[in-house]
Amino acid sequence: MSKKTAKNFFIYGSIFFFLVLVVLTIDTMIRVPKRAPVITAEVDAGKKVWHKYDCIGCHTIMGNGSYFAPDMTNVAGRKPKDFLKKFILDPRAINPKAAMPKLGLNEKEADNLMAFLEWTSKVDTNKWPPKPVLAAARKEASTGQAIYQNQNCAACHIVGGIGGTAGPDLTRIGPKWKSEELTRYLKNPASVKTASAMPGFAHLSEQELKDLSDYLLTLQ
Amino acid sequence: MGYESHKIANNFFTSAILLFLIQIVVGIIAALQFVWPDFFILNFNTIRTLHINALVVWLLLGFMGASYYVIVEESETELWSIPLARFQFWATILTVGLVVIGYIIMGFYPQANITVFGTLLLNEGREYIEAPRWADILIVVSVLLFLLNTTMTAWKTRKFTDVQGVLIAGNLFLALMYLPGVFYTKNMIMDQFWWWWVIHLWVEGAWELIAAAFLAFSLHKLLGADRTMLAKWMYIEVGLVMFTGILGLGHHYYWIGTPAYWLWIGGIFSALEPVPLVLMVWDSFRTTKYATKPVENRVGLFYTISHVVFNFVGAGLWGVFHTLPQINKYTHGTQITTAHGHIAFYGVYALLVLAMIYIALPTLRGVKQFNQSRGYVAFWWMTISMIFITFSLTGAGLVQSYLERVMGLDYVTVKSAYNHYFWIFRAVFGVGFLVGVLIFVKDFFVAGKEPLAKAS
Repeated sequence: MSKKTAKNFFIYGSIFFFLVLVVLTIDTMIRVPKRAPVITAEVDAGKKVWHKYDCIGCHTIMGNGSYFAPDMTNVAGRKPKDFLKKFILDPRAINPKAAMPKLGLNEKEADNLMAFLEWTSKVDTNKWPPKPVLAAARKEASTGQAIYQNQNCAACHIVGGIGGTAGPDLTRIGPKWKSEELTRYLKNPASVKTASAMPGFAHLSEQELKDLSDYLLTLQ
Repeated sequence: MGYESHKIANNFFTSAILLFLIQIVVGIIAALQFVWPDFFILNFNTIRTLHINALVVWLLLGFMGASYYVIVEESETELWSIPLARFQFWATILTVGLVVIGYIIMGFYPQANITVFGTLLLNEGREYIEAPRWADILIVVSVLLFLLNTTMTAWKTRKFTDVQGVLIAGNLFLALMYLPGVFYTKNMIMDQFWWWWVIHLWVEGAWELIAAAFLAFSLHKLLGADRTMLAKWMYIEVGLVMFTGILGLGHHYYWIGTPAYWLWIGGIFSALEPVPLVLMVWDSFRTTKYATKPVENRVGLFYTISHVVFNFVGAGLWGVFHTLPQINKYTHGTQITTAHGHIAFYGVYALLVLAMIYIALPTLRGVKQFNQSRGYVAFWWMTISMIFITFSLTGAGLVQSYLERVMGLDYVTVKSAYNHYFWIFRAVFGVGFLVGVLIFVKDFFVAGKEPLAKAS
């Protein structure tokens, strides 16, 4: 190959591939709006809050960002909304061990950010992040444990090393509670601890609440 | 020294390596914040913004310095306008200074990042391109002035060499690819889509063109290799870089909400991205073997070859490991990416700029020989430390991918409990890297100005 051939190979090849990229970009721009819910004024305002506080300076979203804090793509699907809002407003009041500082968002900014995160959780990301293998293989030993699983308590709590860190570790929770008090707490946390950020589980029946608290009391 | 214009290159190099030093110091603070989040008066996001912005800016300053040097050497004439180049230098430094002050203010008072004329005043909250709109405009003006000056210098002599052509094309492509990141997009999917145009088409497109032009220039200057031969291989290399790299962009479009056909396009083209990098390794080793003159600037050649090798290791190997969607599904957004980012930026671009500094050094200092031993010491401190930083982060990434994505453990649990020692290793080797940088900085300021060591 002569130098001239190599030069033409570079110039015309690059132009060709760049044109292919432009065509694919146009196609992507047409298809993308159908892969996510409609962007409302709140979602757009929430996205601006996301940028204003440089959230990506610690978090990732759709897997891109700073790898210092959890991914936010589907956080709204994993954690209760009330909890998230309270946490964003003052993280260490909710979880004293949180690494996140208080950034000074106001109520409206927090609501808009919630709308934005709810929007991102509904984006079609080609099934990312993958569902953990362990979650599919898990079997419940008791009715209470089954409720613990299907109410997704592990989103915020750890039992035996597995689960989230937004709420307290429940591995040895049993001896710290009385049955009746725990049932009442699960139904409406604020009635027992006013500062609690945990959402209530009043939609469960009395029997289900009892089963759940029985299971929790066995943890020690 | 020969040309008055080389003072401009020297200014750019000086500012680049001072920012390099700052980048590493804030990097160590960031590494410690993984263990103690409240370690420093500024939060992690500010420190991390400074770390990655210092990186991008010092590399760009290094490219500009090296481009001014190469264009002048290739054209064998002074720059088209030295006062314009001087103005462009100081205007760039002033802009960078203002942006940094803005980041720090925002670090202390997040509320200060207010919206003015529809854009955020201090920080746009988009990784790597955090610089606000007013700074974007100034940066574009600076790059345009730089392009004008270098192109007019090449034009002046009507000598158009192949190196000049690819170098100017690379710089022009770099300037154009900054633009897709300047505008606000309502849709987060498209926001990230255009963001990747900037980031990917810079590091795996425009910057690789600049690197290939510098490589051809250096091999000719150091080894007296045949220009036509070098130019031919340069065109083949940059051709393959563009053929694989442009659509290789697809490996960033797997999981951000873009259509599923990107899984195919990204997977196939990005798997081929290491090919030109292997070719560069082969090309530079072969050229070195058949050198037609004795090598005087051995440390310059050493850094050049190391850059080529770590271009392949960092960008090629550490990239291709996790580029297929079947693997990337588990590793995306984990410390595997951080590991790749560190070794790739060091190997491809940090070593490239350092190599260009060593190649230009004798000319800039007006000497034929200089004491080269410190350059090697600095290299080994930096490189061994970076290899261990990469291993620490790769370990952390494998643990994280397995526990978080396969087992379903929580992010925070994995980070604070299982990866604790990886963070500590990374910080320790960060200090080792800093030692290497300090030796390099000292070398830059004293090499060529001290009496030559007798036995060297």
